[in-house]
Amino acid sequence: MRSLLAFLLVLLLPLRAGAQGAATQRSIAIDSRLAADAALRVGDRVVVASEPGMPGDTVVIAAIVERRADPAEIARGEHRIRLHLDHLQTLLGYGDRVDRFAVGTRDARATSEAVSRINAAAYGFRAHRSADVAVETSRTFAVVSRFHRAIGLITIVASAIFLLCIMLLKVDERRRDVAALRLIGCSSRTIVGSVVLEAAAVAVLGSLAGVAVGGAASWIVNRHYQAVYRTPLRFSIVTGDIILMAVALSLVLGIVAGWLAARRLTRQPPLVLLGR
Amino acid sequence: MIATLAFASLRRHRARTALAVLGVAVSAAMLLDMVMLSTGMRESFRGLLLSQGFQLRLSPKGTLPFDTEATIRSADSIVALIRARPSVAAVSPVLGGQLHFPVGASTVTSTALGVDPSVQGDFELVAGRDPAAPDEIVANDATLRALGRSVGDTVRAAAGYDPQLRTLSGQRVLRIVGRVRFIYLALDQRAVALPIGTLRAMNGPASEGRASLAMVRVRTGVDVERERADLAAQLRMVTVISTSEALKQVDERLSYFRQLAVILGAVSLVVGFLLVTTLVTVSVNERIGEISVMRAIGVRRWRVVAQILLESSVLMLVASPIGLALGLVTARWLNSILASFPGLPERIDFFLFQPRAALTALGLLALSGVLAGLYPSWRGSSRPIAATLRQEAVG
Repeated sequence: MRSLLAFLLVLLLPLRAGAQGAATQRSIAIDSRLAADAALRVGDRVVVASEPGMPGDTVVIAAIVERRADPAEIARGEHRIRLHLDHLQTLLGYGDRVDRFAVGTRDARATSEAVSRINAAAYGFRAHRSADVAVETSRTFAVVSRFHRAIGLITIVASAIFLLCIMLLKVDERRRDVAALRLIGCSSRTIVGSVVLEAAAVAVLGSLAGVAVGGAASWIVNRHYQAVYRTPLRFSIVTGDIILMAVALSLVLGIVAGWLAARRLTRQPPLVLLGR
Repeated sequence: MIATLAFASLRRHRARTALAVLGVAVSAAMLLDMVMLSTGMRESFRGLLLSQGFQLRLSPKGTLPFDTEATIRSADSIVALIRARPSVAAVSPVLGGQLHFPVGASTVTSTALGVDPSVQGDFELVAGRDPAAPDEIVANDATLRALGRSVGDTVRAAAGYDPQLRTLSGQRVLRIVGRVRFIYLALDQRAVALPIGTLRAMNGPASEGRASLAMVRVRTGVDVERERADLAAQLRMVTVISTSEALKQVDERLSYFRQLAVILGAVSLVVGFLLVTTLVTVSVNERIGEISVMRAIGVRRWRVVAQILLESSVLMLVASPIGLALGLVTARWLNSILASFPGLPERIDFFLFQPRAALTALGLLALSGVLAGLYPSWRGSSRPIAATLRQEAVG
C-alpha cells in the first residue's frame, strides 16, 4: 500500500500572502529541515499537491516540528510534512484507507486478547504487537551492532598482541635488574609479582587515558554526525558499563601479558641474563 | 653487510620479532579490510547497477527508484518519447507492487514486478523461459518454496483485498513459466515478475499507464551525462539519475561505513607504526654501544641508518602477506555479518577484494615501516661516538 506518510510525494509550492481566502485553508506542520531548506516560517502559505503539475490545496504552515531521533531515518535526508488524515486521504484519492492505526490497550493480557480478536476478524490486514514491530524494524541496527562487536573483537586481539609486545620489551629492558635481584636472593615469585603489579598499573593508567580519548572521540563523533545528518540522535555513548568493561579487559590483558613476559625472564639463570 | 646485520638483529630476539610480526599482521589485516570496505560497497553497487547495461533510471520526481511507492503518471507516453530518441537503445519500464497467492486457508504475499519481458533488466532466468503471454509469470526460489509450486504449474494471484466484500481483488490465474533470480532484490525476498500490462490490469484503473521506474540503455558512444541532462530538461515530471548520480546517493547513505573505514584504517596504520617504532627504538637502545663501535671503526652513518630502516621494513614486509591472508579471512567474516542487512541485494559486497585495494594497503604499510624506522635510526646514528662508547664501557 502506498504510504500515507510518503510525504515526498507531496509537492510544496510557496505562495504569496493574500492569494486565497484564509477561511477555507487547512493547516499543516512541517519539519525543521524543510523549514530551513525552503526558508518557510509559521504562517506562510504553500500549495501541496500529490504529484508535480497536479492541482493542489493551498494550506497554512501552522507549526514547525523537530523530528524524532529515529535511527531508521537519518541517512535518508527526507523532508516531511504532517497533514490531517482526512486531508491527505482526499489529496491522494485514498478514500478512507490508512496504512496502519495504533490501538492502546490496558495491559499485556488485554494486548494479547486484542491481537487475537482483531486477527480472527481481520481481512486484508493483521494486528501486531508494538514490541514485535520494533524487533522487525530494528533488524538493520542489530546487524550494525553485530558488525561493531566483530570489529571490537579484532581490536581486542590487536590490543592484546600490542600489550604483550610492550610488556615483553619493558621486562627485557630490565634483564640486568632482574638478574641482580635474583642474585641477592629475591625469589622468582616476588619478581613475577612485581612485574605483574607494574603491568596492571600500566594497563589501568593506559585504559583510563583511553577512556579520556574515547570520551573526546565520542563527543567529536556525535557533534560531526549530528551536524551531517541534522538529527539530535546520539551516535556514540560512553556509559559506566562500557568504561568498566574497558578497564577490566585492559587489566586482565595487562596482567596476562606481564605474567607471560616475567615468567619468560625468570626462567633464565641470572648469569645468562647478565650476559655471562 | 647491512642485510646480514639487520637479520641478525631480528633473529637475536625471536619472541619479540614474532610478536611484532603478528601485531603488524593484525594491523595490516584491519587496514586491508578497511580499504576494502571504503571502496568495495561503491564498486559492488556500480557493478550491480551496470550489470544489465542500463545507464539511466527515471523515477517519480524527487525520489530514488523504488524508494517510495510513488509511480510515474503517463509512463507509456514517456517511454515512447524516450524510445524515439536516436541515442537510446532500449527503455525498460517497471511497475512495482504486491501479489497475494491463496494457499489453503492462508495467503502468500510476494513482491511483484510488472516488466516488459523483451527488454527487462530486473531478473536472470535460472530455468524455463521469460513470460511472454499476459497470463504468464516467473518467480524466484523463495516464492516457489512458499507456494509449493514449480515451473509449469498454475497459480491463483490477486492484487489486493476488498475488506467490505471480504474477497481478494484483481484475481487472475497465472502460469509459472520460469524460475528466476532477481538482481536488485534480497535473496530471501519473495518476488515474481509478469508482463506490466497484466499487473496494471490486476491493480485496476489507478495503475493504468503508470510505472514505478524506467531504465534506459543508451547507444555506445553516447555521452550518458549529457543524455541525462537532456532527458531531465525534457521530462520535468520525473527524476532522471545516471549511475554516477545513483552512486553519489549511495555514498551519502552509506557514508557511515566509509568514514568508519577511514577512521579504523588510520588507527590500524598508527598502531602498526607505533608498534614497529617502539620495537626498533628499544632494539637500537639496546645496541647503542654496538652502533657506536661500528661508527668508530669507520662504518658510515647512512649504513647504520639503512640497517635500522631495513629492520623495520623487514618486519612490515614479513607481516604484510600474513596480514593480507588474515585480512581476506576477516573480510569474509565481516561481509557475512553485513550481508544479513534486511533487503540487501544478493550481489552487494561490502568487502570487495580489488588488487588496487591490496596494493594501497601494502603501500601504506611499507611507507609506515620506513617512517617507523626513521626516528630510531636517526637517533642511533647521531649519538656522539666517544661519549657513548665511554658511557657503555663505564656503565
